[in-house]
Amino acid sequence: MKLLNCLKGIRLPRPPAAAPPSPLPAPEKVYLPLRQHQGAEAAPQVEPGDQVKLGQVVGASDEFEAAAVQATVSGTVEAIVPMPDPAGDKVPTVVIANDGADAWHEDLASPEGLLAGLEQVTATRPSRLLRRVREAGLVRAQVNGRPLHVDLSPPMAPQTYLYMTGIPVVRPIDTLIIKAVDPDPPVCPNQSLMGEAGDELAVGVAALARISGAQRVILALPSGVAAPELSALAAQHEWETASVSQTSYPFANDHLMVLSLTGREVPTPYGEPRDVGVTVQPLSTALDVGQVLATGRPVIERVFSVAGVVKNPGVFRVRLGTPIGEVLEAAGGGPSQAGKVVVGGPMMGLALYDLNTPVTRETGGVFVQSAPQVRHFEDHPCIHCGRCVAVCPVNLIPSELGKLCEFRLYEDAAEQNLMNCIECGCCAYVCPARRPMVHFLRHGKTEVLAGRME
Amino acid sequence: MTGNLLTVSTSPHILGRTSLRSMYLEMMIALVPALITGLYFFGAPGLITVLLAVASAAATEYLISLILKKPSTLGNLHVLLMGLLIGLILPPGAPWWLPLVGGFLTVALGMTVFGGNGNYPMNPVLVAWAAMALSWPEAMNAYLEPVALGSGDDWMEAETFLIQLKGDIGALEMFELGNLWLGKTAGAIGATGTWALLAGGLYLVIRRLIPWQVPLGALIGAIGMGLVAVYTDERVAEMGFEEFGAYMNIVWLHLGAGGFMIAAFFLAPEPVSSPVTPWGGFLFGLGVGLMTIIVRFWGSPVEGAFYGVLLMNAATPLLDRIRPRVIGKVVSGA
Repeated sequence: MKLLNCLKGIRLPRPPAAAPPSPLPAPEKVYLPLRQHQGAEAAPQVEPGDQVKLGQVVGASDEFEAAAVQATVSGTVEAIVPMPDPAGDKVPTVVIANDGADAWHEDLASPEGLLAGLEQVTATRPSRLLRRVREAGLVRAQVNGRPLHVDLSPPMAPQTYLYMTGIPVVRPIDTLIIKAVDPDPPVCPNQSLMGEAGDELAVGVAALARISGAQRVILALPSGVAAPELSALAAQHEWETASVSQTSYPFANDHLMVLSLTGREVPTPYGEPRDVGVTVQPLSTALDVGQVLATGRPVIERVFSVAGVVKNPGVFRVRLGTPIGEVLEAAGGGPSQAGKVVVGGPMMGLALYDLNTPVTRETGGVFVQSAPQVRHFEDHPCIHCGRCVAVCPVNLIPSELGKLCEFRLYEDAAEQNLMNCIECGCCAYVCPARRPMVHFLRHGKTEVLAGRME
Repeated sequence: MTGNLLTVSTSPHILGRTSLRSMYLEMMIALVPALITGLYFFGAPGLITVLLAVASAAATEYLISLILKKPSTLGNLHVLLMGLLIGLILPPGAPWWLPLVGGFLTVALGMTVFGGNGNYPMNPVLVAWAAMALSWPEAMNAYLEPVALGSGDDWMEAETFLIQLKGDIGALEMFELGNLWLGKTAGAIGATGTWALLAGGLYLVIRRLIPWQVPLGALIGAIGMGLVAVYTDERVAEMGFEEFGAYMNIVWLHLGAGGFMIAAFFLAPEPVSSPVTPWGGFLFGLGVGLMTIIVRFWGSPVEGAFYGVLLMNAATPLLDRIRPRVIGKVVSGA
């Protein structure tokens, strides 16, 4: 696998060593979208004018694929308005004006049921742990992450795409990968948390392993970054460690990491790591689980990385619901000529159009570009040079797919495995003709799915 | 930052440094050693031929862009690279009109009629070369005896190693391997400097501007087929070599002769007309190597490498169907 990694993909500059996150003061207003993940929206549980306290539930739903939303400041609910999420869709959002008291909700005070120690976690039934995770509304901390309780539960129904493929339709999870690497450097929220290896992390990982049923825990560490505490913790709890390169992109992608660490191939396009018995969780999610179990309080903060053209790039601990624009100002302000603000990272991130978009559970950071840095794609025919084929990590022929999608032959492209594209962007990165490869392929996938729905 | 509009576009938000212009520029830079070798031995006639070919290609592209009312693509240097390549594979003693026709045919017949850069099925340089080799064989064989720069001698007409070999197998013993690889032999301006072409080609491979599979396949194909050919050819057998080294020497002579090296590193891996898949590229190169030797030993034309590339260009769509397995693809048994 290592050999494959150096032949495929692209080399990116090594991200700067991530410092531990520095806390930001709570903002005057928080904007809490009622859907902070892939899945269903929660229903608002408060009305404008209500007084809310820290950790009070403001959005909840009986839908399985919805996560509860809690207030991350205490104060007054001002309104419920639609706000854009990172992808640009409008989501109903609870706006709370901060009164500065930071008083926790009374219901959360009860000390019984706290699971601070490792023994307590291993003595608790997995279903109970799962309920705690669900009540806390945890979300896998990654763009397009799902509510954590969905991620850790077995599939609701047999995965029909696995019929007749030789892969078990339902397979128990036996491996948990905790990734301290970030798929899209230099946005590195997980890496900055590597110094926080302590009991909370041990509890979180133990709980995740117990809920999912994994016996084997693999800690994916970024190569070339010293993490003595984390390695010691891993040795203490008998976690395996593996190092994943930070500079060869996109091998920190979940599916490719599962392949290189366990040798199992996640079936694409619809498959998930759990189809092959693996669950991949970011380090920040494991820490959140530990914190929720140990304190009984929901998570109100998110580790948020600001990279690119800002005065003081770094990682911050911000309240959920803080507008991204305010985080940028805290990082010293963006460039005078604003170009792009990308949620996620330079290779796979989503460009924002509104800086009032709040920090949510799934966003891990932004990458800021100044206007002169914004690159433009060109309208040149494909010259068939094969550089995209050389880099494609999943062995597609992007040049041909791009041409087919450009000329609207979407079904023909689907026959050439268009749907297996992971949209990593390597083909567009190396294309000398500057063709908007990811745009073509993504558009083609949308059209294929739309055509199949009819 | 309020009031400023943000740019919204699809990912990725950073792009690599290689553009068409930089890619073609680097390919031209990689040809410079071969050009220098050619000019060192063929001097003014060589320089004039190359310059006329480049100028003709550029002028043709400019006129075509005027006629078709399309933006000119001269800016990305592709046409200049094509002009340089056709100039380099012409004989230095060619009449003045030959490079002009060559540049014109490369751009007009090789590229534009098929739809320009990205669409032509065969290497335009070789399309033009083949058209001229069939139309004006005498002019295309106007080779000169190499004269080192500054020696003041006049250039004499000469026959290349391959032409002499075609007529008489004894030519094998008249040519020295070292001179052949250095470029001190009669031949096309840019195709004789084997070491120079090898250096430029390795540069392209290291910079990942051409797929490494194609030249590798060509070298393996030519060496393998060359060995088969020297051991089975009766004419070589009559010369009575005994050691493997002597046979291998003939293969090395063939690698350094004619246009094999420029074909393996510059003409065969030409992006548009070569396969994109790794195994496709290797087989493509292998085919070029095999065809080179087969034509040289048993074919009627003198030069096999260029015809080999043209033939394999035709096989490119077929070779592009040899694909690696897609990672994660579920093979349904239904």
